[in-house]
Amino acid sequence: MKMEDRIIMTIQSVLDKRPVITLDSHLLEDLRVDSLDKLMILSALEDEFAITISEDDFADVVTIKDIVMKLKGRGFFAGGTAPI
Amino acid sequence: MDLRDFYSRLSVDESLAEVMGYNPYYQKIDSGLNARILVNGHEMIDLASNNYLGLAADNRVKQAAMEAIKKYGVSLCGTPIATGYIDLFQRLEKKLSHFVGLEETIILPSCYQANNGLFNCIAGPKDLIIVDRLVHSSLIEGIKSTGSKIRPFLHNNLEHLEGILQRSIGYRQVFVVTESVFSTEGSIAPFKEIVQLCEKYEAMPIIDDSHGIGVLGKSGRGILEEQRIAGYRGIYTASLGKAIANSGGMISGEKKLINYLKYYCSHLVYSTALTPAVLAGISEVLDIIHSEFSEIKEKLINKQRQIYKALLEGGFKVVSSEAPINSIQTGSKEATFILNRKLYEKGILSTPFIEPAVPINEGRVRLIASVSLSQDTVDEAVAIIKRIGHS
Ligand SMILES: Cc1ncc(COP(=O)(O)O)c(C=O)c1O
Repeated sequence: MKMEDRIIMTIQSVLDKRPVITLDSHLLEDLRVDSLDKLMILSALEDEFAITISEDDFADVVTIKDIVMKLKGRGFFAGGTAPI
Repeated sequence: MDLRDFYSRLSVDESLAEVMGYNPYYQKIDSGLNARILVNGHEMIDLASNNYLGLAADNRVKQAAMEAIKKYGVSLCGTPIATGYIDLFQRLEKKLSHFVGLEETIILPSCYQANNGLFNCIAGPKDLIIVDRLVHSSLIEGIKSTGSKIRPFLHNNLEHLEGILQRSIGYRQVFVVTESVFSTEGSIAPFKEIVQLCEKYEAMPIIDDSHGIGVLGKSGRGILEEQRIAGYRGIYTASLGKAIANSGGMISGEKKLINYLKYYCSHLVYSTALTPAVLAGISEVLDIIHSEFSEIKEKLINKQRQIYKALLEGGFKVVSSEAPINSIQTGSKEATFILNRKLYEKGILSTPFIEPAVPINEGRVRLIASVSLSQDTVDEAVAIIKRIGHS
């Protein structure tokens, strides 16, 4: 599975009762994510990819694509790719 | 600092109230919680307060409060660690501990304060706090004050909780925090199973029983009695301003914990103690529960069911609940305000919940039928609800 899809699937699993998520989904406007949802998303991503994320790292994300970029860009994955 | 800038940042978004021409908040109540209440001078049916057992204006409770005032005056003007710790206070601590079946108790001015003050006494940055996604803001704020790692779990979802617990390795301490009755939904936590999971993964359970104490269990002792949780070694908090019909918040648990909080919980140590009238009022309510709970509970359930049936017949989307709470799923904040206003215009006071009190677009209108409502009043509420539903 592509890393993007894995991220979307992980986020969808903790946002119940929400519309279908795409890379362009806005966390606030489309998915109505509040601060606890955001923590839940970070936890789910930490578990899925066996990484540690701090809240501050994700303070400025607006869309799902931003999350993908963060995960790729911040070297959360060895060598910049997902350990899949 | 520019004062104009300062004050201009303090603006409240009242656009919804303006569009609706109606603000449901801070409605002025001109009476006590009697069979009918006066709101802005109009007689109304109270389906909003948390006066589950109808004891807030009970004559015996009023009398007990008045006796206490006669003996002690209205306040001891001191915190519990100083002059606030009167014999009534000490006796009530014991009585509450006995009531919920735990070793010891401290009593704070409110449960908001109890939940805010508890966590930073017991947890820190090396710890993990796992918390139900829908818990009350007082718990969230308390939890956030610790600097601990926070992991929310899906509401009442044991599988999700266990998954998180399984992966919670390397923390100094792990806590699992939830409520007994989630008051916006009326849902009840599977707390017995949560306690078992905590035992399996060596985590410390913390329960806020604010809407369970005086309501759940065969003698009203709350969630621990309801779910037959024997030998509970976790932490317990509850508000004394709902079924217990006074005000204040309690934290109960093992002696070691409570003794520590007595000296280190600044929300207790530095805040004026509950006043004699309230202490005596709570004590009287506990006595009434002790002798009359089964009759009162039967009335409570009976009234709740009548309202629930009316809501179903009126075509409302209502959450079926094991707690004496009727929660209508209204969705958007606009729809929530509209229903709340319709009820208000027809003479029923209800409670609207919009974000951030609930997740966005999961608005609710809550109706609690207190035991203090007469059958006539319930009949009238039923008729109004059906009429609104069919209009
Ligand atoms: C679950 C829960 N915890 C705590 C509180 C706060 O309790 P208190 O009103 O005693 O401050 C409330 C509501 O008021 C509540 O619903």
